[in-house]
Amino acid sequence: MTSSPRPGSSFSRSRFTRRNMLLATPVVLGTGALAACSSGGSEGSGSSGSDGGVATGGGATGGTLTIYTTGEEMSFDPATSQSLAITSLGLTARRLTAWKTSPDAPTELIPDLATDTGTPSEDGKTWTFTLQEGLKFEDGTPITAAAVKYGLERSFAPELTGGLSYHKVLLEGGEDYAGPFSGEHLDSIEAVDDLTLVLHLNRPYGDFGWVASNPAFAPVPEDSGQPETYATQPVTSGPYRVESYSPGAQAVLVRNEHWDAGTDQARAGGPDTIEFALAQDASVVAQSIIADRSDAQDSFLASFVPTAQLVQARNDPKVGDRLVTSGPGALEYLVLNTESEALKDVNIRKALQYAVDKEAYRTAKGGEISGDFATTLITPGIAGREEYNLYAEAPSGDAEEAKRLLAEAGAQDLSLRLVIRDDQTAAAESIQQALTRVGISVTIQPLDANAYQSEVTAGDGSAYDMVLSSWQPDMPSPNANLTPLFESTQIGNGNYNLARYANEEVDAALLEASSTLDADEAGAKWAAVDKRIMEDSPVVPLIYSKNSFIHGSGVENFVIGQFPAYPNYLTTTLKA
Amino acid sequence: MIPALQRVARSVLVLLVVMTLTFAIFYLAPIDPALQMCGKPCSPEDLEAARGFMGFDQPWFVQLGTFLVAIFTGRTFGSAEVAVQCAAPCLGYSFQLHQSVTELIVDRFPVTFSIALGAVALQALFGIAAGALAARRQGGILDRTVTGVSVVAASAPAFVVGLLAVVVFALQLDLLPSGGYEPFTESPLQWARHLVLPWITLAFLNGAVYARLVRSSMIEQLGLDYARTARAAGLPERRIDRYALRNLALPLTTLIALDIGALLGGSVITERIFGLPGLGALLLDATSTADLPVIVGTTLVGSLLIVLANLCADLARPLLDRRLAATGRRTSALSDPTDPTDPDSLADPVDPTEASSPVDPTEASSPVDPTHRTTPSDPKAPTPQETSS
Repeated sequence: MTSSPRPGSSFSRSRFTRRNMLLATPVVLGTGALAACSSGGSEGSGSSGSDGGVATGGGATGGTLTIYTTGEEMSFDPATSQSLAITSLGLTARRLTAWKTSPDAPTELIPDLATDTGTPSEDGKTWTFTLQEGLKFEDGTPITAAAVKYGLERSFAPELTGGLSYHKVLLEGGEDYAGPFSGEHLDSIEAVDDLTLVLHLNRPYGDFGWVASNPAFAPVPEDSGQPETYATQPVTSGPYRVESYSPGAQAVLVRNEHWDAGTDQARAGGPDTIEFALAQDASVVAQSIIADRSDAQDSFLASFVPTAQLVQARNDPKVGDRLVTSGPGALEYLVLNTESEALKDVNIRKALQYAVDKEAYRTAKGGEISGDFATTLITPGIAGREEYNLYAEAPSGDAEEAKRLLAEAGAQDLSLRLVIRDDQTAAAESIQQALTRVGISVTIQPLDANAYQSEVTAGDGSAYDMVLSSWQPDMPSPNANLTPLFESTQIGNGNYNLARYANEEVDAALLEASSTLDADEAGAKWAAVDKRIMEDSPVVPLIYSKNSFIHGSGVENFVIGQFPAYPNYLTTTLKA
Repeated sequence: MIPALQRVARSVLVLLVVMTLTFAIFYLAPIDPALQMCGKPCSPEDLEAARGFMGFDQPWFVQLGTFLVAIFTGRTFGSAEVAVQCAAPCLGYSFQLHQSVTELIVDRFPVTFSIALGAVALQALFGIAAGALAARRQGGILDRTVTGVSVVAASAPAFVVGLLAVVVFALQLDLLPSGGYEPFTESPLQWARHLVLPWITLAFLNGAVYARLVRSSMIEQLGLDYARTARAAGLPERRIDRYALRNLALPLTTLIALDIGALLGGSVITERIFGLPGLGALLLDATSTADLPVIVGTTLVGSLLIVLANLCADLARPLLDRRLAATGRRTSALSDPTDPTDPDSLADPVDPTEASSPVDPTEASSPVDPTHRTTPSDPKAPTPQETSS
């Protein structure tokens, strides 16, 4: 998924990025996994856990929780991590702000190291965070504003890039800054005193509170040793410290005695020990969790449940609510390359909105349980999202209207190249068939992950007319849905504006919406941009996909909030 | 001595060719490892900086040269305060795993070695026994069972067999752990317990080759003149079996050496299924994450192991067959071929080319020949004699 990590891989920059770049990989795998189980009742959305809140989580403390992941490595370096706020890195690294997830409500921004979610100046360009008193690193030294400043500065070093860089284009002077290792500091990050951090932005930015939940906003002590080894030997601020780590095998986290639960609204700090079993085979792990053997009881699989095991789990009464399916999450969509000769005409792109059969697509992905139909770009679970539909009412499309639009545009014998990753064949064929009914011929070209990345995200756009992709934003802000996919600066270089959509008016509108401080006002502007982009039809929204996860009988509070469609590792506990 | 040196020189050449090809292939393939290092969103400047830092901004032959030199001298990535040191022998540095490739391989090697050791021992033992028994009972139920099972084993996909083994032995019967690795030094018992399933899986998959090879060769051997002569002279069948098997020592040794080499190179799927952090799993992940240094480093070590195994097999051949020692080619004049008490004399009593045809060791020892598993073993090998005892 483009933007969100595979659940298990929540740590590492590299794996993340890659998985992310593979666009729909996880989503597609996950939903593909559902393919075989079109029958049977829906899991429903939500979670098996009782409550998302930490204070009311009610889980016991103690025990060893095992998290199985197909990921090979973990990076504990906040500067290079794209980890979501609620997954692995969140166990060891606190940030200025955090997320509160709940299956019943949109994800909420809550304070973490700071006492609040940040106070903007009148013009929205200066943000002040005040740290809580008495916070300590794992070695007992106090967490200060200077440590957060240093952590942020590190993320600018070219040797440590790879993380979420939303802040790097926002902090004043960031474009010319190359990190703190040669003694240079960034003046726009101001540690006024031990507890006060003032950040100066180059423009007003309403969602900066969300940005402050990104990994780079975790504190790093200045004397933390070699930058390269920090990824495996971090000085942690969360409930856990790293006891041992061996890539490809396991990472063991044990209690950080200096973490104080009373200062943390985001983390339950339940288990005494958390073991990440790395490089696991998802099928084998899913089998053993379904069997619920003693050693699998206190564990969960961080990756989506593979197809065969999903069918098995759904039919096994012993599994019951240990199989947890998320609500609608990532947007799966058909990219229409606006630079391609065949699709330059907006009316032809609009015709495709009617020609595509979302029903057939969803069936190919496994039916109803694989997701809900999508008509907008902002994904569910995000505050300010507005539901609307500019095109065909019926999910199966409107072939007549499509033909009419094509005739009007003078398109004849249209032939399009659809580039996919090699695991998306069934879904691609559903698109192919739907377009055939309006007289468009489609050539499907599957690419392996690496080729896909270089042709599609890093290429010059000449390799495709259409691409199947999916996107889950990095933060529950409409900004994170729209800017990476539709701003003209996000074309090529490994970025995700795959439609190669460049519209000055939209660029300006994105800038304006992101600069708006008032949440309601901003929400209205985002919804308007969403609609404005859809009028130009650079993509066809298909479904908001759902993910399924499985855990052992000893695990409690395994919550998937409305955003993102992943379990919250920070609040998961074990039965007493 | 000279042929041995030639052989070593050829092995080094093979390694260089493998290296060059690996570099060239990945340079030509549409992969940009720097994309993994760039943040999100990624600016063109960040991307360029990442390429420079990782050394991927150079042409492939320069990268290859730097890589080869670094094996002997070590290497530094980046500069000054944030420099990353990679000490000799440096096989590159994985920026994704934050470890030098040499260290990664050293860490993973004991796992892969453990797997290979047990698997080869099991597959050779059971494969040879099954093949010999089947040859003795040719056409009987046992023979048909062995032949049938070996067809299934040779054609079954590793992940199906592995998953089945986990489901049956670990999940249903709860006899063994479903995966993971315990170092031998910490607990030999746990080490073995965790490895039994992968060993059996691999032995099942690979043992079929041994069974078929031994079966067909034995049948042929038992039909040869020397066996007939021995039988006519009243030697017990068991004794004749031993001679026949001894004649198979050469091709079997080659096969075993090759299997050790191949397994050390990584049993990719088996390692993944059983959650074993070996070289195969390392390579598999590196391929999917475009971790070029790891791909190149493990490929080099993998091919080194296979080349070494071949080399050992080739160098060991004269020791196994004295007639090879003098000239490197067989001659049959050293002993009386009809003397049943001289085992060497029985090796090749009639026609040297015919006797070695079912399993030609020189063909099987081709270093990167994946077909060695299907070594020609004609199931309709000449069987003029009724061989049951």
